[in-house]
This record gives sequence, structure tokens and C-alpha cells, in this order.
Amino acid sequence: MKKKGNISKVLYKQRHHIITTMILAVILAILLLPFYWCLILSFDKTAITDLPDFSLVPHEFSIQNYRYANEMIDLGRYYMNTVMIAFVNTTIAVFFAMMCGYAFAKGNFRGKKFCFFFMLAVMMIPFESRMVPLYLIYRSIGMLNTYVPLMMGSFAYVYGTFFARQNIGAIPDSLRESAKIDGAGEWRIFLRIILPLCKPVISALGILQIVANWNAYLWPMIVIRSKEKQLISVGMAFFNASESSMYYGPRFAVVVLSAFPLVIMYLFLQKYIVQSVALSGVKQ
Amino acid sequence: MKSNVKRWKRFKNDMTWYSFIIVSLLVLLIFTYLPTMATVYFSFTNMGTYGTEYKMVGLKNYTVLLGSKSFLNAFKNTILLAVYSLVKIPLGFLLAYAINSLGRTPRQTFFRIMFYIPSIITGVSVILVFQYVLRGNGGLLNNLLSKLLRHEVTTGWLSDPAISHLGVTILNVWMEIGYFMLMCLASLQSIPTEIYDAAVVDGANGLQKMVYITIPQMKSCFSFLLVTCMIGGFARFTDLYIIGGSTTAGRPSGTLQSLLMYIYQYSFESPQYGLSSAGSVILSIITLIFTLVNVKLSGFLKEDNG
Repeated sequence: MKKKGNISKVLYKQRHHIITTMILAVILAILLLPFYWCLILSFDKTAITDLPDFSLVPHEFSIQNYRYANEMIDLGRYYMNTVMIAFVNTTIAVFFAMMCGYAFAKGNFRGKKFCFFFMLAVMMIPFESRMVPLYLIYRSIGMLNTYVPLMMGSFAYVYGTFFARQNIGAIPDSLRESAKIDGAGEWRIFLRIILPLCKPVISALGILQIVANWNAYLWPMIVIRSKEKQLISVGMAFFNASESSMYYGPRFAVVVLSAFPLVIMYLFLQKYIVQSVALSGVKQ
Repeated sequence: MKSNVKRWKRFKNDMTWYSFIIVSLLVLLIFTYLPTMATVYFSFTNMGTYGTEYKMVGLKNYTVLLGSKSFLNAFKNTILLAVYSLVKIPLGFLLAYAINSLGRTPRQTFFRIMFYIPSIITGVSVILVFQYVLRGNGGLLNNLLSKLLRHEVTTGWLSDPAISHLGVTILNVWMEIGYFMLMCLASLQSIPTEIYDAAVVDGANGLQKMVYITIPQMKSCFSFLLVTCMIGGFARFTDLYIIGGSTTAGRPSGTLQSLLMYIYQYSFESPQYGLSSAGSVILSIITLIFTLVNVKLSGFLKEDNG
């Protein structure tokens, strides 16, 4: 009798799972539909001058849209600029965050508490509140339309510092002690012992930084004036606003090309990304 | 003599540690603290554009702003849109709840990965696509609705002032639902299973478990999401700016002008730094209040004492 009850319970649970899976699949399909639509239209020849009805495959398959897009917008240039900035900024930001995190986790020096608070308090000041004076500073030293204003902020990655500190704090002190007996200084310990042990937090922060840099919009729009130096998000939006509303297909081609690298990165690194987001609770 | 050596040693120790943090501290001082103070200072002047004469005018900028219809309109839009966007929390929770109920199976991993995809591609690309998805004439949503309802639907989700708020909220939910799902899922999975076992012994059913155990256990997660959602909402700019045709006018008819767009307008389009700085200060104060609430709720700085 008891056995029978168990079996029906298992069956009930299985049915429950199937229903849940089906509902989730439908929601997911709705959620991803706009992307699919965009992808299909980017290969649809009829989408050049018109928004065709929704269909599962292109009405008239061609790569014409990508050719047009290539002629109208210097996407390769934007790509290179963005990849370069994202790479440099991410490296700087994560390295400096690790340095500060190490000092605040393991250091004993005068003024430590004050310095830590000095850094964390920045999180309460929204970026928008210093936009104009920052712009004026860079303007007065002739740094507008260079990448300096985009890079400067990376030297103080406050969120990163906070999470680096938490992670480094969990590393046992015995490792440092034995290295000290061997005559290693703090910098040597940091570079040789701490950094190699912190790969998970480094990759998590690195991913957050890459995504943030790839999507940066407002600040690059303010400080970068010339077209050749612009980053991908701003370049794409300019293209969208400036061209006449005719070219639907090429627009979708541009969107696909610009979103592609992030999707690929995500599918490869999804484990780390999901962890980093869930653990840190920050998205920038 | 000995104390000198000791002092030197201590000094050297301090210097070593400061070498780790000094660059970051200086950058924060020069590029964060000083400009923020400058904004507060500008907000009390009648500064026009860069390099022109200006003088102190006291609180005039603030009284002008608070009496200005367009500022109050931007303020109202910002608050309303921030509140609407809170719908992501219950939606994200329900998604996470359904995904979690699948147990730790490959199916769960699959849904977790796939639902987060829109959040990874946020930014301009999604906004551009949605301009066409929500377009009145030939947009994807209207296209599908027309087929479903068997008559022509031409609702301008983003161009009709009466429903533009709904349109951009759909866009916002779509962009960020994955993040909210992920946060709720992480919180759900950290609830100790013993509590549920005890409830089952007491004869609780599924709904009771959800209402009396799951939701109260996730209180800190919900409050974190609530506050960060509001803070993000106050700084809303990019999507509304692009939907308005890369202007700060907040098209259609100013219904989509946010505070930050208003500030941007008087900073870069028709510069009146005094006025825009006062706007920035107001926006910062609101953000600061919510951040302090967040700090209080999450105990972010508590560890500092350790």
C-alpha cells in the first residue's frame, strides 16, 4: 500500500516537472523571439526597405544587409576601439582592485579604516553628479576626444576592491607567514601567492568589467567627439539616428554583429558569469 | 635609538601598504570627490557655459527647478518609471521559483543559462531591436497581435504618449528579467532545506510553503533588489534617449524625459551649468537616501569593524 503511494507521488512529481518545463519553454521562446526576429531579418533581402511580416525563415535569404551595413558604418573600427578600451580598462581595473583588496584585507597600517571608508563612500555618489565638472576638467587639460577620460576611472574600481577584499580575507595567513620567513616582501607575496590563488574572483570581476565596457554609452558619448574614435554602442546609436528610416535590414545586421561577441563569451564562460553575478550581487 | 628604529620600521611598513592603494585613492580624490564638490558649488551659481562670468545666486537654481513644469515632469516620469520597473521583482521571483522546482537537473541549468541571455546583451543593441519590436507600423508585437486577434493592430507602444510608459517598461523588464531571476534563484537555493522538511511534517502544502517560508526567507534579497532597482531607475537615460531619437526631449511629448535627460539637456545641449548642477544635486540626494537604506538593510559596511 505504502509502495503504491510512493509511485503515484513520483508520477505526480514527474508530471509537475513536465508542465513546469513546458511553461518555462514558452516564456523563454517569447523572451528570445525578438532576437530571433532580428537575426532572421538581418538575412532577409526584403527587409532592406520594409519591415516584413514575421516568419520563421527569411523571405528572401541574402547577405546583402551585411554588405550594406559594412559600407555604411565602419564597424571594424568601432570593434577595434571597443575591444582595445575594454581590454585595457579591464586589466587596469581588476589589477588595481586586487591591490587595494589585498591591502585592506591583510594590511596593518595607520589610516586603514579611514581609507577603506573613503573608497566605499564613493559608491553612494552617483556618477551623474560629477559629469559636468569632470567634463570641464578634461576639457581644460585638452583631454577631450582622447581615451584618457574613459580609462581614468579604472584606476579605482570600488566594487572590485570590496569583493577582492572579501576573497583575499578568506586566504589563510599561514601562507603569508611562511613566505615572509623566506624573506619575501608584501609585493612579492601579492604577485606570487595572492594573485594566483584569486583566479575565480579575478575572472568574475574581469567579466563584469568587459560587459560594462562593451555597453558603456553615456560617458563615451560625452567625451569622444570624432567618429573614428567612437566606441561600438555610441557608434551604433549614431548610425541608427542618422540614417534615414529606410535601412531596416542593415540595422539588424549591425545589431547582430555587435551583440555577437558578448553572446559567444557568455556561452563559453556562462558558469563563471552566473556565479559572479549571483555572488557579487552587482551589475554595472 | 631603539624607538627610532621602531618608528622607521613602522613608517616603512605603512609606506609599503600605501603603495598598494595610493593610486586609487588619488584618482578617487581628483576625479570623484573634487568634481562632486564642484557640482555642489556650481549649483549655487548662475554659471552659463564654460569660461563665462558667474556669481553666487544662493538657492535660486533650486527654486527655479522646483517651480519649473518641465523639471517636475521629468521628476514625475523618473519616479513613475522606477516604480513600474519594480514589476521585475515578482516576475523574476516566479521564474526563479519555477526553475528551482525542477531540481538540480540539466534542465534547470539550461533555463538558468538561457533566461540570462537578454541581460548579457543589454545596452544599445537591445534598445535598437525593441524600437522595431514595439513599433506601431509593422513592429513585431503588433504583427503577432494582429495575427492573433485577426484584425489590424497599430498601437504605437513607444510613440503614443498615453502608453509610452508601458512600452519602455516592457523593454526594461525584457532587458533585466534575467538578472532578477538569477538573484532570486541564488537566494532561493540558499534557504536551508530543513525548514521545508519541518513544514512538510506539519502538513504544509506547496502554496503555504511558498507564502510562509520561501518569501519571508528571501526578504533581504527582495529588499536588495528593490533598492538597486530604484537606484537604477533614477539614473535611467540610455534607452529613453535613444527612443527619443538621440535627443533629450523625451519623445513622445516629453512623457519619456527622465531627470538625467533633463540634466544632460542643460549640461551639453543648451548649457546652463548652474541649473544642471542643481538638478544633479537633487538626483544625487535621492540616490544617496536609497543607497543609505541599502547599506542599512544589507549591512554592507558592517564588516568594516572587523
